[in-house]
Amino acid sequence: MNDMLNVALPKGRLGDKVYALFEKAGYGCDDIADPGRKLVFESPEHGVRYFYVKPSDVAIYVERGAADIGVAGKDILLEYAPEVYELLDFGVGKCRMCVCGRPDFRDDPSRTLRVATKFTRITRDYYAALGRSIDMIHLNGSIELAPILGLSDVIVDIVETGATLRENGLAVLAEVCGISARLIANKVSYKFKYEAVTALASRLHDRIEVTQ
Amino acid sequence: MSYSRADGLTDGIFTKLADIWIRRGYTRYRVSRFEEYDLYAKNRSFITGSAILTFTDTDGRLMALKPDVTLSVIRNTVPSPALRKLYYCENVYRAADPSSGFSEIRQAGLECIGPLGLFDVCEVITLAARSLAALSGRYILDLSHLGLLGGFLEDAGIDPALRPELLRLAGEKNSHEARALLARNGVSPHIAGLFDTMIHLRAPLEEAAARLSALPLGENAAQALSELARVARALRGIQGIYLDLSLRSDERYYEGVVMRGYIPGVPSPVLSGGRYDGLMRRLHKEAGAMGFAVYLNLLERMLPAPEALDADVLILHDGADPEGLMRKVSALEAQGVRVRADRAVPEGLRYGKLLRYDGGEVHE
Repeated sequence: MNDMLNVALPKGRLGDKVYALFEKAGYGCDDIADPGRKLVFESPEHGVRYFYVKPSDVAIYVERGAADIGVAGKDILLEYAPEVYELLDFGVGKCRMCVCGRPDFRDDPSRTLRVATKFTRITRDYYAALGRSIDMIHLNGSIELAPILGLSDVIVDIVETGATLRENGLAVLAEVCGISARLIANKVSYKFKYEAVTALASRLHDRIEVTQ
Repeated sequence: MSYSRADGLTDGIFTKLADIWIRRGYTRYRVSRFEEYDLYAKNRSFITGSAILTFTDTDGRLMALKPDVTLSVIRNTVPSPALRKLYYCENVYRAADPSSGFSEIRQAGLECIGPLGLFDVCEVITLAARSLAALSGRYILDLSHLGLLGGFLEDAGIDPALRPELLRLAGEKNSHEARALLARNGVSPHIAGLFDTMIHLRAPLEEAAARLSALPLGENAAQALSELARVARALRGIQGIYLDLSLRSDERYYEGVVMRGYIPGVPSPVLSGGRYDGLMRRLHKEAGAMGFAVYLNLLERMLPAPEALDADVLILHDGADPEGLMRKVSALEAQGVRVRADRAVPEGLRYGKLLRYDGGEVHE
């Protein structure tokens, strides 16, 4: 049983997209098409066992060894900096981490910049690299409200299409980094299941190249 | 504090490790639980996790509960033409990350300090491999030489400002971002390809050294490879030692050979070490040094599942006939039965059979 590769996939659309790539790479699992109430899906013939978890938890499952490999967004990897290997960029789930605010906002370097975000590490690193002092305001949701209500000057958040920003009279002021789904591996699993992990990564890599 | 199953496990493991180390002439080193905070303040980043527990001693000195043993060993090192070969098993206190709070961590390890030669380096690596073998029938000891990847970047003329980010990406085996970063900075695909080959190279040590020697390496990397190849030849025949150039260690303290040890079932390294001549220099000690630590606290995962029952038999009694009860309990115990006598059923006790002692006999 332990020789199977345990794969943590993110719940939701991203998980469906990347599972399709696993399937095309030859790691399909019939049970996933008809999940019922099952939480774990095994494909003994391909040596993989899938389970879906909250996207932000994938890195924890992999870092702690409950999953050998997993698929996590780059935003999560940058924010939590888990001790894992990052083996592939799937090139799906693409979006951008951006600084956003009112379109007419002008930064006044003589004042501390108030920044609201869910992503405190990414924000801290970004402004540290710029040498800009900030007042970080950690929020858990509805980040766009912060500059509208004057809680912050700007926000740092994920922007996919920009529609939510536009609807709330906000705009992208700067791009922090690009985000996409990445294949990650537990460092110890990588060593003890080296052939299985590298073969899977290689077949996924080939499949991604064909898709792109 | 009660003595737990985990304490029993780590005591047993330490006894096995100490036996291995003693056979190579290592002697036990004991440290006090406290050290002056100043020692750690100057070398804070050497210690994993930055938070340290401090208190003011009766004489006004700021003291720390020891977060690390190596710094104390070095501090008490005096120049000598002979090597100091020491091993320890101590509790250290630190917060791995700010959100997790402080932990008491049991750590065993050894340090070899003085005029180190190739033999001494190989001996420490051998003892690391034997220590892992004592923990698990399957183990992997990854080795790297920090001069190899660092020397390669220098030889290739890569901007030193890019070096920390490239080494971080190497630590993640992150080819896609490393290639993109090198391309953005005008580095040729040939150099990027070599970097990629190096961070993904994984093979038994001697085979890996041979494969590296086939690459067009520059002077600095070739020198590091030459040292590594000599180590590989000296370690020939020892199983489970691999080369992994993605290993990262703080270059302010470590140089040359570094290592990490892994066993199945534990999701992070159980052994970590390497040559820390850089740390010696920072502490104004003119000597080489190499050592490793084994994280005994991580080995709790090796404990078998707890027994399903706390007692096979629970005997309820009224306390009226202690002599007779003693005889019955002893008789059951002599048959290998785990027996508990009590006046009532204890809350939460998991037991097999419930008996009652009454009139000199036990009844169902």
